[in-house]
Amino acid sequence: MTPTRATLAGLVGLVALVAMALAVGAQGLGWGDGGARALLRAPRVLAALAAGLALGVGGAAQQGVFRNPLADPGLTGVFGGALFGIALLLGVAPEAAWQRAWLLPAAAFGGALGTSAVLVLCGRGGSSARLLLTGLGLNAFTAAGTLVIAARSGESRELLTNGAFGDWLGMATFELAWLPILLCVGATLLLLPSARALDLLAFGEDAAHAGGIDVGGARRDAVLLTALAAAAATCLVGQVAFIGLLAPHLARKIFGPRHASALPGSALLGGILLLGADTLGRGLWPQAPLSAAAVTAVLGAPLFIWIARGRHE
Amino acid sequence: MSEPLAEAVALAVELGGRRILDGVSLLAEPGQVVAVVGPNGAGKTTLLRALAGLTGSTGGLRVAGRDPRTASALTNAGRRAYAAQKPACAWDFLVRDLGDIAGSPDAFAATLARLGLADLADRRLSALSGGEQKAAHLAMTFATLADPFGSVLLLDEPAASLDLTRRALVATEIRRFTQAGGAAVVATHDLGYARSADSVVVLAEGRLLAAGAPAAALTPDVLAATWGEAAPTGA
Repeated sequence: MTPTRATLAGLVGLVALVAMALAVGAQGLGWGDGGARALLRAPRVLAALAAGLALGVGGAAQQGVFRNPLADPGLTGVFGGALFGIALLLGVAPEAAWQRAWLLPAAAFGGALGTSAVLVLCGRGGSSARLLLTGLGLNAFTAAGTLVIAARSGESRELLTNGAFGDWLGMATFELAWLPILLCVGATLLLLPSARALDLLAFGEDAAHAGGIDVGGARRDAVLLTALAAAAATCLVGQVAFIGLLAPHLARKIFGPRHASALPGSALLGGILLLGADTLGRGLWPQAPLSAAAVTAVLGAPLFIWIARGRHE
Repeated sequence: MSEPLAEAVALAVELGGRRILDGVSLLAEPGQVVAVVGPNGAGKTTLLRALAGLTGSTGGLRVAGRDPRTASALTNAGRRAYAAQKPACAWDFLVRDLGDIAGSPDAFAATLARLGLADLADRRLSALSGGEQKAAHLAMTFATLADPFGSVLLLDEPAASLDLTRRALVATEIRRFTQAGGAAVVATHDLGYARSADSVVVLAEGRLLAAGAPAAALTPDVLAATWGEAAPTGA
């Protein structure tokens, strides 16, 4: 299949998926009278779609910056940092967190930036092992931190536990989700122009610099926008692994490794994967839906092991 | 006399408190190939990276009419191309993608054909041999410069991992570049190639040991002082 046909197939698939996602759920099958049920489900569907876009493109961008196909913001601890940021805010000022729309995304962004900074300082330029071990440490630290805060604050305990399991999509209302949805779409669009820099970075920092790229600036922009994408997606879904790994991996196979096609391809596939996972979880068990994160992990983990197996270092 | 395209005066590079390069001068005029030779660790790569503006340095430096240390990466890239010794690529691009990424697919395809690799354009990099990958990356380096005239090519051991035929093709390609009004600075272990250059710079432990026309720079004394007992005769 040519990349153009694959793109068309992907877009048609996405539209069909959105139509289906609006038709499944606890309130019964179908869009309802005058689309009433569909309207009820729309925030959740939009949130899953937007978060999927951001997770897919964020994974591709982080892999481009670190020149490493295993650099997924889930594995490298950036999502962990985002959730930890949210946990800190809920632990310190639980009432204030809900008063302003931007506070939760800002806290998530702060957390994601913190882990990104550690990652850039410790994991760059080294082997995959160093990057992933740094990520392992960051994930362990932020997960423990989130757990400690959850255990100490009675009112936020359930919320944070659900977040850690990627089970927040069910809470999505337009009121809560509009800003993170906009941020997801914005970060995705802003990451697309970095395609040329990421293409040249593939040949190493010297080659990219010699090729006319301001390497420091390009890396900073991509890291900031990846952190923003991760933070906004975390606000919508909670922690969800593997999308940032699977979507770029498939996108490079289908659309080719050039970032001009791999970045939008990763966004498209990320949206399809996350919305598909959420729709599957709701469709199979309408009364007690399985979280999107659980579905992606069940399907994604074996694929991850398969990717890891194919790498020789 | 024409203005030199690359000029370094008493160039020094310090990395981690250690002097890697000390008092090295170099001159490359339009049309010239300058070979940089010396044993492993002599500072050849550091000299090329300094000329490219990829590492900080002290001393006088002008490449293609500007100081690469103060000009922006984009400005430098317009008239200077650099190829590292070991090509690497994180993603499995098609060979012809390299031309698109370099910004001039036609120039890339033409260079690829002259290097005898035209039929590899639709292959993935991972499907090439080490020598073919090296040659494809060199073709990409050539293609980044829109016009050889007034441009500087910095090549770090372009012959490494190439077979004899392809070495000769790359040497011809470098000549083609300089004959069009560019200058090339080429680090090499191939003393035979160095003897065919217009000028040679001999480095040892980061210092300039000899410089000038090949016959004047690569004397038996210099060879013995640089490589010691195992001095190559470099016919």
